[in-house]
Amino acid sequence: MKIIDCHTHFPGKVLGAEPRPITQIRAEFERAGLCGAWIFTVDGLRKEPAKNNDILAENTRNHRDFFVPFCTVNPHDGADEAVKELDRAKRQLDMKGLKLHPWLQAFSLTHPAVLPILQKAGELGMPVIFHDGTPPYSSPLQIAAAAEKCPQTTIILGHAGLDYLYNDAIIACNRLPNVYLCGCAVSSEYLKKIIESCDINRIIYGSDGGFAEGIIEHAIDRYVQLGLDEAVRQKIFYDNPQKLLPTRYKNG
Amino acid sequence: MEQAGIAHAVIAPSDEFVTVYNEQGNRQILELTRRYSEKLSGLAAANPWYGKKALEQLEAYLAEGLKGIYLHPQRQGFLLTEKIVHPLIEVCDKYGAVVYCHTGTPVCSMPFQLANLARTFPQVKFIMGHAAWSDFSGYDVFPAAQQADNIFVEMSCGGKGLARRLIDELTPERLLFGSGYPRSNAQVEINKLKSLNLSGEIENKIFCENALKLWNIEL
Repeated sequence: MKIIDCHTHFPGKVLGAEPRPITQIRAEFERAGLCGAWIFTVDGLRKEPAKNNDILAENTRNHRDFFVPFCTVNPHDGADEAVKELDRAKRQLDMKGLKLHPWLQAFSLTHPAVLPILQKAGELGMPVIFHDGTPPYSSPLQIAAAAEKCPQTTIILGHAGLDYLYNDAIIACNRLPNVYLCGCAVSSEYLKKIIESCDINRIIYGSDGGFAEGIIEHAIDRYVQLGLDEAVRQKIFYDNPQKLLPTRYKNG
Repeated sequence: MEQAGIAHAVIAPSDEFVTVYNEQGNRQILELTRRYSEKLSGLAAANPWYGKKALEQLEAYLAEGLKGIYLHPQRQGFLLTEKIVHPLIEVCDKYGAVVYCHTGTPVCSMPFQLANLARTFPQVKFIMGHAAWSDFSGYDVFPAAQQADNIFVEMSCGGKGLARRLIDELTPERLLFGSGYPRSNAQVEINKLKSLNLSGEIENKIFCENALKLWNIEL
């Protein structure tokens, strides 16, 4: 079974992560059974997004047959600067998507820079993955309200409601065709409800891998124990992410 | 349960039986624990908004042999810091019963709120359900549990890294395995803890010994 993990982190100095060389992280991810991983900066969510975009791009430069790097920008830098950085990350660093974390980055979805950023991401063909499920800044319907205004942009709820708000995530996904759900850190039986309730072509797998070793195996097990049909698993683990960001993985 | 190798489970009412139809839910739990007494123990639900009726409900079922109360402030509509819940805790105290509390949902069911309640009733044992998963887990769970040593932590739903930290920082004696069903899945939760390669002694405490002692269960 080929698995692309759509929610992993390049561990930095925050959130209790263990910084490790990219080669080691790749080896860990491959041992866990992944053929590829979308990877996000963690430190860049706290400060200096441009510098941390550079760091992630540089670290993944020789691993583009495995890692798909996502950049970040900060709405508090203002729409002009954030959009400029997004453009630079795409054109100069060849980063493929945008990660936003309203809780860690301390912005509301109503911040005036948010819509310009999302629209630009859509123009650049960069999917935007959000941390979600955590009030007061990251509820699925707050993100959905912004997604509704940017129908050309792919918006991914990175935690599909993070357990307590999974129902809201289902509503967002069913209402808006540009909203996808990544079932990262969602409990198994809630995952099952999400899979049964939503368009199966818009559900992707993610783990939060990278913070520490062993996270990915547990995340995969959450799906495996549900006994899903092979065709469903194939879509969630591989086909859907490949449709969003087609990538030539070495082992995929 | 049997498929996952679970010898005994502590079950509680859910959904409308936690919020509104406490009597029907508790009756069902009691019947199940009697029919399968070797495999099941039970907790009662009593919504504090029922006032005196809730106290009578809880007392009746504790007297019948249920092991404690299952509180779900988010579903039942109260804050853990509101005094409305105190009379129920007093009943638990009278029976030596344990208070299991769903935690992790702001604004009503957060770790420090449970710690405040546990400090108000230091003689009563409390369980912090699901280790306050999700975004409180890496943070408030630890200082909150350290505020009151009458708090035990049930480990379902959270990630593997959290499980590791709970064992290292709160000591295995205060931890309880939970399947989290019907939110999580028993096999997933067992695999999570097994993959930590714990010593037999620690595994035994978390999977079995602590729960037997806490709830006074005999296998």
